[in-house]
Amino acid sequence: MPRETFQQELDGLISDLLDLGGEVEASLENMVKAMEERDADVARRELGVDIRYKTRGMDIERECMILQARQAPVARDLRLLYTVQSVTNHLVRSGTLTEHICQAITETADSERDEDLEISLVEMARTARNVFNEGLDVFENRDLERARDLQAKDDKVDLLYSEAMNLIANPPGEGVGAPEWRMRAALIVHYLERISDHGVDIGGSTVFLVTGQRIEDAMQQYLDRNVDGA
Amino acid sequence: METQKTGRERKVSEVSRDQRDVKHKSGGAPSGDGPTLGMKIQDLSAFYGSFKAVTDVSMDIQANKVTALIGPSGCGKSTYIRCLNRMHEVIPGARAEGSVMLGEQDIYAKSADPVNIRRRVGMVFQKPNPFSKSIYENVVWGAKINGYKGDLDELVERSLKQAALWEEVKDRLKESGHGLSGGQQQRLCIARTLAVEPEVILMDEPASALDPVSTQKIEDTMDQLKQSYTVVIVTHNMQQAARISDYSGFFYIENMGDPGRLWEFDETEKMFSNPERKETEDYVTGRFG
Repeated sequence: MPRETFQQELDGLISDLLDLGGEVEASLENMVKAMEERDADVARRELGVDIRYKTRGMDIERECMILQARQAPVARDLRLLYTVQSVTNHLVRSGTLTEHICQAITETADSERDEDLEISLVEMARTARNVFNEGLDVFENRDLERARDLQAKDDKVDLLYSEAMNLIANPPGEGVGAPEWRMRAALIVHYLERISDHGVDIGGSTVFLVTGQRIEDAMQQYLDRNVDGA
Repeated sequence: METQKTGRERKVSEVSRDQRDVKHKSGGAPSGDGPTLGMKIQDLSAFYGSFKAVTDVSMDIQANKVTALIGPSGCGKSTYIRCLNRMHEVIPGARAEGSVMLGEQDIYAKSADPVNIRRRVGMVFQKPNPFSKSIYENVVWGAKINGYKGDLDELVERSLKQAALWEEVKDRLKESGHGLSGGQQQRLCIARTLAVEPEVILMDEPASALDPVSTQKIEDTMDQLKQSYTVVIVTHNMQQAARISDYSGFFYIENMGDPGRLWEFDETEKMFSNPERKETEDYVTGRFG
């Protein structure tokens, strides 16, 4: 096949991206574990990952720029490089948010908790992690079927966001949970919602990669075709 | 300080651009006396004796736009483009079937004069081919043959300016055209084509024999030319097609021995970002050809 070297370079780029994705997934896993088990030591392991992810992200973006300059990509190659840059940004941002959450966990390790709110946070963390992992799976497998379901899964995160914010704004009683913890909980809720959004956007970028269309347009065509074919 | 355009300002710019487009369409002929025409091709097939080289091509070539024809070697692009000004039939045994409309005129109608068609639809070839005459004579030659009665000096200046060559040759118009560089010779050939005031300009790989600087000048020239003419270009340089054209047609032969076909035709933006057909995508991404 002509352009074998270019294809190898593109494959290498995707491999680097998925490696970074795997590391961010691992950080998210530790974050969820730290929340589930109230384990500040597990959370502490993730402090400092942000700078590492940013450096990796910059390396990938630099490689994208070099390939664009050297290979003048068009069509699917161009869409791939555009998508890789977009997904890299989502991964790095998610890694940063994960570190912020772990930082909040370590800094409030000894603070009194509101148990109802904590249960909500843990459920939201699990769900956000699942949406993020699913987005990355969609990208790795170019799976449009699953991309379609991502938005519905994110809706559950949005629902949990509202519930948690309600508990933060309207505590069940006086003195439930230390103020510093409640304040950090509000930030954690916001960060989790963003991580889930990044997962959805990775799925949306994949739809663009495969179809060349925005996810809303592509999904509408996809649904219409399935209805016609049914 | 650099300021960002607001959405409202952007909309105003777009309206201005649209108005400019309308202006070109309504009054952009080379000498300012009539609209530029597009071409409408229907079911065009081209033959060399009994061999069918191109089959059933239908395409609307938009006025005041650059249309690029791309595809692997031997898929019929050059044959096709030569059918658009009846140059194909000058080869013994060669003929074309189908309909090619230049505005309202069927160029293959019995009443159509091939010489007049070739004046209205000019052609620039891959290899620059100036006459063994002065730069001045090269430009006015075709116009004089066609009975041009206007001011020849003005015609030379106008044509050379349109071909972006005037500044480089204005002080040596009496020197031989062969003394120019390859890129300048090609622009001289473009000026010669423009001097007979065509409506459409066909270019068959006009920059493939030129260095990058000359190629860039030809490409810049084309961008200017489309303000006043309809341009069709055959090119093997994919990035050139992406840079300069508004529409692209991909020619392709599915099986060895088959005639060439127009496989996909669309706006260049679409062809180079998200083509409809796999073969087009494989070709523009360099995966075959």
